[in-house]
Amino acid sequence: MTHRAEAGLEPEGGPRIAGGPLAPLARAVEFLNAWIVRAGALALLAASAILTYSVVSRYFFKAAIDWQDEAAVFCIVGAVFASSAYVQSYRGHIGIELLAAFLSPRANRVRQVVVDIASFAFCAFFAWKSWTLWHEAYVDKQITNSTWGPPLWIPYALMAFGISLLALQVALQVVAGLQRRRGP
Amino acid sequence: MSVLAVGLLYGIATLVVMFTGMPIAFALGSVAVVFMAFFMPSASLDTVTQNVYEEMASITLLSIPLFILKGAAIGRSRAGRDLYAALHAWMSRVPGGLGIANVFACALFAAMAGSSPATCSAIGQAGIPEMRMRGYSPGFAAGIIAAGGTLGILLPPSITMILYSVAAEVSLGRLFLAGIGPGLLLVFLFAAYAVWRFRVEHRAARAAFAAKGTHSAYLDETVYTLREKVEMLPRVLPFVILLIGVMVALYGGLATPSETAGLGAVLALILIATIYAMWRPSDLQPIMTATLRESTMLMLIIGMSLLYSYVMSYLHISQSAAMWIVGLHLSKWLLLGAILGLVMVLGFFLPPVSIILMTAPIILPPLKAAGFDLIWFGILMTIVMEMGLIHPPVGLNIFVIRNIAPDIPLRDVVWGVMPFVALMFLAIFILCIAPGIATWLPEVVIK
Repeated sequence: MTHRAEAGLEPEGGPRIAGGPLAPLARAVEFLNAWIVRAGALALLAASAILTYSVVSRYFFKAAIDWQDEAAVFCIVGAVFASSAYVQSYRGHIGIELLAAFLSPRANRVRQVVVDIASFAFCAFFAWKSWTLWHEAYVDKQITNSTWGPPLWIPYALMAFGISLLALQVALQVVAGLQRRRGP
Repeated sequence: MSVLAVGLLYGIATLVVMFTGMPIAFALGSVAVVFMAFFMPSASLDTVTQNVYEEMASITLLSIPLFILKGAAIGRSRAGRDLYAALHAWMSRVPGGLGIANVFACALFAAMAGSSPATCSAIGQAGIPEMRMRGYSPGFAAGIIAAGGTLGILLPPSITMILYSVAAEVSLGRLFLAGIGPGLLLVFLFAAYAVWRFRVEHRAARAAFAAKGTHSAYLDETVYTLREKVEMLPRVLPFVILLIGVMVALYGGLATPSETAGLGAVLALILIATIYAMWRPSDLQPIMTATLRESTMLMLIIGMSLLYSYVMSYLHISQSAAMWIVGLHLSKWLLLGAILGLVMVLGFFLPPVSIILMTAPIILPPLKAAGFDLIWFGILMTIVMEMGLIHPPVGLNIFVIRNIAPDIPLRDVVWGVMPFVALMFLAIFILCIAPGIATWLPEVVIK
């Protein structure tokens, strides 16, 4: 398994937006990402605590609970999707970088911008479809199939928010890449 | 367009997009969505996010971040160094004991942390300098740690196995148990090689001393008193108890695999708080951040790999490819060899999670039709993917070693791991001759 972060092998974040009208937006996304990481950490701790509580309550109090799996799923799904923009901010979503070794630095910069534009197109599409899914679930008051039956719009909203922020993060990287091309 | 043409196009498009350097998750998702747009009913595009969510919202899959949390908690504490120091002291009287201590420390740490690079990093930081100080050649020292780290995805709880159990629809409990025998086999092979290599290098050092008076650290001996050895135990025992406790909870019927992940994470955090006083937010923040980074990257790849497989199945690509392989009427072992070869080549470029989810629908039906046990095959596939962690061009563990011992030339590291790759091939061969090494334990424990 590729535990790059644990091994201290973080990829470089690449260029940042140097200035201009988008600089405040880039700083806002950075600020938001920092808070999302804290919230995501709490969500993972909560999921661990919920599953532990489930084992303890069943073993010691003979009390079965029916909500632990879904509550843990909601916490983890939320943490994962919401943090996806943060991971993208330092280009932590791994890819096959073989081609980069054969291209000149200039060609590599062009490749990176093209790849970022394609990534943005996919993330924007996924974000759009996530919001329509959320809207449907909210309007139709959809719930999960379990006996607990929590509303489905909650995880869908977390997914839609996370992927939208990811699309925004990639868009900022596209702009940063283009600024760098125009620069000296 | 025929299924063959669509299938070929799907494969080529995936390769082209991936080799542009696009992140694997986005590349798989993009190819799947484009093929949905062109070859599937237009309504399918409306359900793309629902598909991904429903595939991902399984507590078995979502236990992966919690296993990563457990590994990060142990990996970022001093547990690895303490475990290594204790094993080193207890094995000091055995010839080649230092190498064996490193292999054992890697295996135990891997079983606790469940991560190959984290194991390499934690044990290697203490083990590589110690081995080099004692005269071990740099390549040999690096090879032991790089290969020992790979035991992380074979010994339970292994994230790779969680995915395989989902993809192959086999029992996760059985799969975890099936990994123990082959894991111990590899530990034995690695340790035996370490002793043999020690003897060779030790003999050369003695000869050099006799001929030219060249002194080598190989000839120095360190003796630990019983008191020193016993004093090292209290810091290690709680982690060994955690390892055993989690396994008892899982197989004693106290907890499901996902509950075990949560329980293990909580226990690991409690242990590092009590033993190493790591309870302050500043101590926990790096652990939680590393967990989130790793989990998010992996879970997005998993989600998009599942979407990719769904499209492949909807377009009958996987079924047709599987039928084509069956139709070749290859002999049983040739089929197995060809499939393991394919997995190995994919391992040059892709992380195990993608390999499993992308290839399972194609390779598993022919293997099942040929009469292979899918749990046994899961273990073989895992060992082959372990090799991908230590051989070029990707070989993540090699990069970890380069990170912790930058003065060892890459050439030495690569040559140092090669004997261990050969030992992994030997383990695969032994498992083919004696499949019971993998299948016996699950059959005994789970009736």
